[in-house]
Amino acid sequence: MRHRFLATAALVPVLGALSLAGCAKSSTTNTATGTNGTSCVTGASIKAVAAAPGGAAATTTAGSGGGGAATGKTYTIAYQGPLSGDNQQLGINEDNAVQLAIEQANASAQLPFTLKYVNADDQGTPDGGPPAARKIVDNNNVVAVVGPAFSGATKASEPIFSQAGIASVSPSATNPTLTSQGFKTFFRVVPPDDAQGAEAAKFLAKYSPNKKIYLVDDTTEYGKGLADVIEKQLSGLGITVQREGVAQGTKDYSAIAQKVASASVDALYYSGYYADAALFAQALKSAGYKCLAMSGDGSNDDQFVTGAKDAGEGWLFSCPCGDARVDPNAASFAQAYKAKFNVDPGTYSPEAYDATNTIIAAMKTVSGDVTREKVATALRTIEYVGLTKTVKFQPSGEVVGSTIFVYGVAGGKRVLKGTTEALLK
Amino acid sequence: MNLNEFVQFTILGLTRGSLYALIALGYTLVYGVLQLINFAHSEVFMMGAFGGLIGIQALIGANATLMPVGQALIYLVVGMVFGAVFGAVTAWVLERVAYRPLRRRGAPRLAFLISAIGASFFLQNLAGKEFGRLPQYFPAFIDKSQPVFQIGNQRMNLIQVIIIFSAVAMMIGLDLIVRKTKLGQGIRAVAQDAQTAALMGVDIDRTISRTFVIGGLLGGAAGFLFGMFANVSFNMGFLPGVKAFAAAVLGGIGNIRGAMLGGLLLGLVENWAVLFIDIKWTDVIAFVVLVLVLMFRPSGLLGERLGRAA
Repeated sequence: MRHRFLATAALVPVLGALSLAGCAKSSTTNTATGTNGTSCVTGASIKAVAAAPGGAAATTTAGSGGGGAATGKTYTIAYQGPLSGDNQQLGINEDNAVQLAIEQANASAQLPFTLKYVNADDQGTPDGGPPAARKIVDNNNVVAVVGPAFSGATKASEPIFSQAGIASVSPSATNPTLTSQGFKTFFRVVPPDDAQGAEAAKFLAKYSPNKKIYLVDDTTEYGKGLADVIEKQLSGLGITVQREGVAQGTKDYSAIAQKVASASVDALYYSGYYADAALFAQALKSAGYKCLAMSGDGSNDDQFVTGAKDAGEGWLFSCPCGDARVDPNAASFAQAYKAKFNVDPGTYSPEAYDATNTIIAAMKTVSGDVTREKVATALRTIEYVGLTKTVKFQPSGEVVGSTIFVYGVAGGKRVLKGTTEALLK
Repeated sequence: MNLNEFVQFTILGLTRGSLYALIALGYTLVYGVLQLINFAHSEVFMMGAFGGLIGIQALIGANATLMPVGQALIYLVVGMVFGAVFGAVTAWVLERVAYRPLRRRGAPRLAFLISAIGASFFLQNLAGKEFGRLPQYFPAFIDKSQPVFQIGNQRMNLIQVIIIFSAVAMMIGLDLIVRKTKLGQGIRAVAQDAQTAALMGVDIDRTISRTFVIGGLLGGAAGFLFGMFANVSFNMGFLPGVKAFAAAVLGGIGNIRGAMLGGLLLGLVENWAVLFIDIKWTDVIAFVVLVLVLMFRPSGLLGERLGRAA
């Protein structure tokens, strides 16, 4: 009798594991052959190139103020993103910026209405998305949403926003497919991973003398999407790509690190978030990997340095994000942010600030009562000069223009190396 | 694949397997005396990691830098003791609060299972609330990737040596306790036949409580080692917990040496799977092996109960 119980109990994890394996689509692995080159570039040796920050002087030059008929009314802007869980730091970076933007807008006394703020925690996961979105939609006072932050959560949440006709402006969901899913009210202020992937691939190719690169993704919507773009681009550039997927939340990266170290490649690109990237960096150091290591915007956070410690030294990051700490345009924003939250603005803080202010600018152009529909319509034509760029949306909801920055870890600090455009010259 | 790679992956497998074995012992000990799967044991492991982290941070500060190896090893041992004590306290409280009241009232087996799962959720969220939900890291007071042995291309770094060495030491210690001491005799007696043991003068409640404490010591120490190796977070227990449970079943649940063997084997199989098949199949292979073993040996590899073999 007990044996049967044991067999049943054992079946539970088996089924779980099998279903996981069923989900993990086997990826193409172009196995490297030929002689193993030993020369490769390290991240530390890549010199920073002064970036020319795009966009004009960032002062609020929002569309001309519309009707003031709604004076005294109160409207709410919601933020949705991960406020708990392993990757909450990106959510907090954004959430703070949204709060700051709303506070400043209210204090400016130029609004024909008063703004309120709510947030909804989706933990950055697809299954956390719909409940958070539902919470926002059910609040009748919410006229627009900043977020969702992560691509997987966005894909799961947008049908709810579309149905409710409520505009959502994401500061950081960069999965390329998000704007081709037929979501009616989705906008984003960052260029999609296609742009980031293409630029990262060009950059990696430049530093790949032996034309062999290892690509590891975290099997999430974001990580896999970005890695797909990079793989395609690299193959187009004649680079041999070895590709693996290691699930987000893995703690023991020693096996994959060992594989990367013994593959003698020129560079590694990890497509995933910082909590995992930090552990991966440590495992790579233990395995004796010394060549170029790069990751994407999901890992471009000071938390990566905190976690990876000295193993993070020399890592590079591609990111469609501007850095508020080094960008002169964002100086006053960085100062106000630090004053309010007692920390420096982090990755995607400026973008969240821009997204919020774009929504506020759109609300100001609305005549009469501000409704969800009116805001969504106004966003289609708005042109707002923000910290990171001039925000103007294509009909798909995609932002116009794309600049990709490269960051690196040097001396235990994250620094801006420059735009890919400047670095590839 | 070449020999060099095979040896490297075997070392990785032994490292991971030692941790599985330490956690698996907690499952197997409790199963031996109570015929209960203590699903909250993964949280004992997690609390051990936090205990070690808190202890180390209190002693040397959160931003401590590299120390001489001798000094670092002392702190390492101290940290492990903190982890073990935290784990033991958690396990002891768990038994008092979640299981003993049910046992007193003769609750059905299913009630214990639900109580275990409830306790697991509670502890996990309590840790998330109290210690924060961001992953935390041990201060870099020790160079984990420093090679200790290096022969040609083969190397074993410090953290691997520490994990394997301390796990083996603890397992030998446990084996001795169970075989040689009066407490061990009590544990074996309760496992064999609780009622008769009571008639012979064994205090069942005390024996069970101490069994939890021993499992907690091992699980907490494993939590500390795992935290040193990776990071510490409120939800870190789940996956190693499930794997270690599988390891305990693989070796024959209720069997102490079985849990050790099962843990090591699972770690090895998982890492060899990366080498021979693909990293995506790591988890699947582990459980395929489990199912295959259970098909031919339904009671696990070593199969016997705690009472009969120790």
